[in-house]
Amino acid sequence: MTQSGSVAGLHDVELAALSAAGDRRAFGELVRRHGSAVRGLLRRMGAQAALADDLAQDAFLTAFERIADFRGEGTFAAWVKRIAARLYVRRWRKDSRMTEEVETNDQGHGGEASTVSRIDLDEAMKSLSEQERLCVSLCYGAGLSHAEAAETLNAPLGTVKSHVKRGLDKLRLRLAPAEGPRGEAERQGHV
Amino acid sequence: MSDLEFETRLDRMFAEPPHFADAELFARQVETRLERGWSLRRLFIGAAGIAAGVLGVSQIMGAGLFLRAAGDRAGQQVQALEGAWTSLTNAASTGVNLGALPVNGEVLWMTAALGVMALAFAITRVTQEL
Repeated sequence: MTQSGSVAGLHDVELAALSAAGDRRAFGELVRRHGSAVRGLLRRMGAQAALADDLAQDAFLTAFERIADFRGEGTFAAWVKRIAARLYVRRWRKDSRMTEEVETNDQGHGGEASTVSRIDLDEAMKSLSEQERLCVSLCYGAGLSHAEAAETLNAPLGTVKSHVKRGLDKLRLRLAPAEGPRGEAERQGHV
Repeated sequence: MSDLEFETRLDRMFAEPPHFADAELFARQVETRLERGWSLRRLFIGAAGIAAGVLGVSQIMGAGLFLRAAGDRAGQQVQALEGAWTSLTNAASTGVNLGALPVNGEVLWMTAALGVMALAFAITRVTQEL
């Protein structure tokens, strides 16, 4: 068993190798390094804080069980984020189904962008519909391709692509720095 | 801002982990759950091992296997095994009739012990999956 002080200086891949050999302290260090990223992703996907933390814990436990599958081809953070995202989608699918009827949600949030010129990503994500938030989070937060996201959500690829597109459009509007909605309004005012 | 620039920026924003004041507490909770899972697993495996061991040893002792193996009855044991093999091959060809097999209590208890070990293995796997 590795001493707790000695694991702090190790690379993620080394920690994962130690974890695969049953070293739980090494895995604890991985949790310390990437726990916040996983919790943050789940919240951005739409999970409430308590649910996000529970699922993040489950994701790390699952990752520990499957640590031998992690071969260091990508980053450990990306790998565990994918696990967490899939866990959240599974939970989400229990409660609701992916449908094409997102327009009602879109209308409910659409007007907010014009009143806020600059907000951070977490706030911006809240302006997306549930489906858009999931699709954008899966593709940009968890690093899934559109096809992988479609498979995870059990939704048509075209539907996922359109959700991502609409989500990105909204985020672009809300995250745009000075040239955001206010900037555009200012530009229009100048013209 | 071009699409590519925006998507790169979005990737960067997603990659920046938010700060949580209770990050250390979260890590400890995960470690605690890991330890608990391993303790439970060890408990299951240990209990199953002890149960199977006790069953196996008691049956071996009760059957006087070592004494009989050294005695004149060794030949009878061989004959019994041959008889069992014949019955098994007959059963395979004509259909299984458990009542016709020369199976005694020892075999059943040994089977039960193996069953307990298999159950322990299954529980361990289920625990891992959960």
